[in-house]
Amino acid sequence: MVQVMLPSLLASQAGEQRRFEVDAPTVGEALQALPVADLVMRALVKPDPYLLVYVNDTNAAESGGMACPVSEKDEIRVLSILAGG
Amino acid sequence: MVVGVRALIGTSKGLFILTAGTDRRRWDIEGPMLAGWSVFHAVVDHRTGEWIAAANHMVFGPTIQRSSDEGRTWTRSTDMPLPADCGLELKAVWHVEPGHATQPDTLFLGADPGLLFRSDDRGASWHVNEALLHHRTRDTWNPSAGGLMCHGVQIDAADPDLMFLAVSAGGAFRSTDAGASWAPINKGVEIDMLPNPYPESGQCVHKLVLHPGRPGRVWQQNHCGVYRSDDHGDSWDRVDGNGLPGPFGFVLMLSPGDPDVAYVIPERSYEYHYTPDRRLSVYKTTNAGKAWDRMDAGLPQPAWAAVMREASAFDTESVYFGTQSGSLFALTDDERWCEGARHLPPVLSVEVSPWSK
Repeated sequence: MVQVMLPSLLASQAGEQRRFEVDAPTVGEALQALPVADLVMRALVKPDPYLLVYVNDTNAAESGGMACPVSEKDEIRVLSILAGG
Repeated sequence: MVVGVRALIGTSKGLFILTAGTDRRRWDIEGPMLAGWSVFHAVVDHRTGEWIAAANHMVFGPTIQRSSDEGRTWTRSTDMPLPADCGLELKAVWHVEPGHATQPDTLFLGADPGLLFRSDDRGASWHVNEALLHHRTRDTWNPSAGGLMCHGVQIDAADPDLMFLAVSAGGAFRSTDAGASWAPINKGVEIDMLPNPYPESGQCVHKLVLHPGRPGRVWQQNHCGVYRSDDHGDSWDRVDGNGLPGPFGFVLMLSPGDPDVAYVIPERSYEYHYTPDRRLSVYKTTNAGKAWDRMDAGLPQPAWAAVMREASAFDTESVYFGTQSGSLFALTDDERWCEGARHLPPVLSVEVSPWSK
């Protein structure tokens, strides 16, 4: 199972759950399996510079984006609005 | 048992709930709910008791959030599809209007860009109003500073088919067939910066309010003046000439018991968006706009305040408004303003309802 970690604002829209385990072969399919998939995918379809997705230590955008393959023990982190200014 | 008033305060950082006794002098604050979301508008649907919020986020976009337990839990709806071939993208949700009393499952939603949605399942799913989407005057509409938003959705208390709405900047529209068609109702409403200042449509209506007790009376605070209609918008009388410091402003509050009473908060023109004369003042008419009197007892000075289009409300007992500087004001029995809260995030919307225990 792939681990997916959400930022707090998205977790608040998912019943306060921050960590999910999903069975998916790619980043896109893993995110589609989330209860907040509508919010995440709307932001990523552009793509939005304020939403980043990391697979372990790598920005998924540099590894195929939504098609980036994931496997068991991988951790996907959704990061929202890194900039503070 | 009703013990006072409850205000739903939409802010740029979430929804706050303020409650006060019937004297409206001491307010308690809860919140924020929906933290992190810009709550453009939130209402209590008196037909069902549900709370409905139009919540937007710069990354995650527009949503409708519903709560049936007074804000403890929320259900999100993003099912607001647009036809693939319309070439438009939903940018923001602006105004939630519960439907007619005889249609308890129906809600309306005004949105950007110039869109009206209807839900017949209490907000779970939404359908765009095709007549407004494809309106023949849409080419004359232009976005205002905050976008091309549809707001001011109003439904006649006696006739659920008679509806009004406003688009900023597209003008005011009326439907006599429950939204199947929309007629522009902008006769005599000025756009003073255009070569032809009286076009059929394109006016920047900042606020449109139907008087709840007098059939046919509609008020609007426009980009270019304050107007009153006594014939369902067929014609408009401009009424900002006697006592107001200027024609520009956003909010409009009425008195359900007296159709000749209205309140506005003028701001210094579209280039500046703050109250004039170094003060925050409300102006009141008691004679349908023939004259206006300043009423600022209890309001801060000096002040350069701004009040957003949805940030005012009224009920049978009082009027209320919130400022971009994070204050909520309520008018008390002695015609004095009480600052019910300060240092909230910028206030985007205010709605009030009876508070029961």
